Amino acid sequence: MTAILYHGEPNAASFSVLAALAESGLEIECRAIDLLAGERHTIPGLSEPLARDMSIEGEGPVLVIDGEAMSDAVFLAQYLDDAAGGCGLQPSVAYAHWEMMMWCRQLTERLAPAAAYIGTLAHAQRKLAAIGADGFAKLAGTIAAEDLRARWQDLHDGTVDAAKVEDSRAKVAQFAQRAEDRLADGREWLMGDFSIADLETYGWMAGMRALEAEAFAGKPKLHAWFARIEARPSVQAALARATTDKPQNSWAPGPEINRWG
Amino acid sequence: MADIALYHWEPNANSGKPMLALAEKGVQWDSHYTDLLNFDQHKPAYLAMNPQGTIPVMTHGDLVLTESTAMMEYVDEAFAGPALMPSDPRDRWRVRWWMKFMDQWLGPSFSMIGWSMFVGPSVRQKDPAELEAAIERIPLPERRVAWRKAISGNFSEEEMAESRRRVAEGVRLLEEELGKRPYVGSNQYTLADINIFNSTYSLPLGQPDLAGPDKTPNIMAWLKRIYDRPAVTEVWAMGRTDLAKRVTAMMEML
Repeated sequence: MTAILYHGEPNAASFSVLAALAESGLEIECRAIDLLAGERHTIPGLSEPLARDMSIEGEGPVLVIDGEAMSDAVFLAQYLDDAAGGCGLQPSVAYAHWEMMMWCRQLTERLAPAAAYIGTLAHAQRKLAAIGADGFAKLAGTIAAEDLRARWQDLHDGTVDAAKVEDSRAKVAQFAQRAEDRLADGREWLMGDFSIADLETYGWMAGMRALEAEAFAGKPKLHAWFARIEARPSVQAALARATTDKPQNSWAPGPEINRWG
Repeated sequence: MADIALYHWEPNANSGKPMLALAEKGVQWDSHYTDLLNFDQHKPAYLAMNPQGTIPVMTHGDLVLTESTAMMEYVDEAFAGPALMPSDPRDRWRVRWWMKFMDQWLGPSFSMIGWSMFVGPSVRQKDPAELEAAIERIPLPERRVAWRKAISGNFSEEEMAESRRRVAEGVRLLEEELGKRPYVGSNQYTLADINIFNSTYSLPLGQPDLAGPDKTPNIMAWLKRIYDRPAVTEVWAMGRTDLAKRVTAMMEML
């Protein structure tokens, strides 16, 4: 079996998978790629590219095992936990496991698209706009999914939907409140025990602290939780892979904002 | 009274997922039919269980569970009976990947088309003031937008075209997947099959231009394998609307 993890800077989906890998103790080769240069779409040696091409989370990390592309950070983290024979990233009690999956499902559907929209407008839009028309056309031509390509195009063209910005800001604030409420009973981690929910939530929220500071104001439990997460060796290992000072400012087109209900 | 209760609509889409999973496990449960077309899911008693007002809700003793796909994983883990998740980690990843692909990409497009053709017309004749009051009770803003659109029929040509494009693309990818393996994502019947079946069981009737014996032989063979399962017959007997009639017509086709 050959396995390679292609990842971006340790932020958003790439962060959670890199930290989950460190938690799992599995030896898997990691290769850093520039997500905003479209390098995810030219990964070599893929015999089954489906999950790379049609990933719901947009420009997330891709684990390639024997030519099959595997994507979507929560499931990759679950895979790593399963493959390690259980490394404590998922609760073993069924109800607690459901709670974690439910949290992650709502996070990937609500927080992740919102954070990606805000994050890319703040930190990726100018870089993409600087690519000339020919260069961008070449990049876009490598993206298989029409709707993901459209999100890249909007970002390149500077097309901003004010309603989406407003909706995204509200969703970041709601999720920050939700996390604060969750921690209100004094628990150390979101699900009680440490889990994938902590990594995912951190990955998508870390960069929002500066961009949406108001959403995080007056939330002492959440700030203490950020500090606990950042003290974890797996998180430090993931963040140590950064090639920039502020990996939390590395964004590329993410999941789509709900188009229907 | 069973320890388990399910608040569900038709054996279809999200409601159908836990219904079928419970039936496959051989679990006894109390059925609480929740009429989506009567806005039962936005009434105070229901919102007290699930403040987001989405269907279905399952209770197991004092526990309350929402989100149908995660709920199915709970059903598989909490109860005895045949395993509905594979044991191989990569197969498990693939099963989850396909469920998300359905829940968050293909499903919403099926849903938009279904709501424009079935849900909207089914409630449109109600008293406008009553409808407005019902919409105001919906907790999630995006669901309020969806209901207003369905009732007014105010779908743009652009968004309907995009939904049709995604359905065509999704059907093509599913046909390809089922050419690789007998079931979605693995070699055994799993939650991914239950999930996707609940949105595709009448595909060849509803979208004959996309699916049928000549166009999608793999999907047809897969549907037949699932239709033959006793759990499907058991669950479909609980349907109350015309959606259930489509199953009889499908069975004749397979």
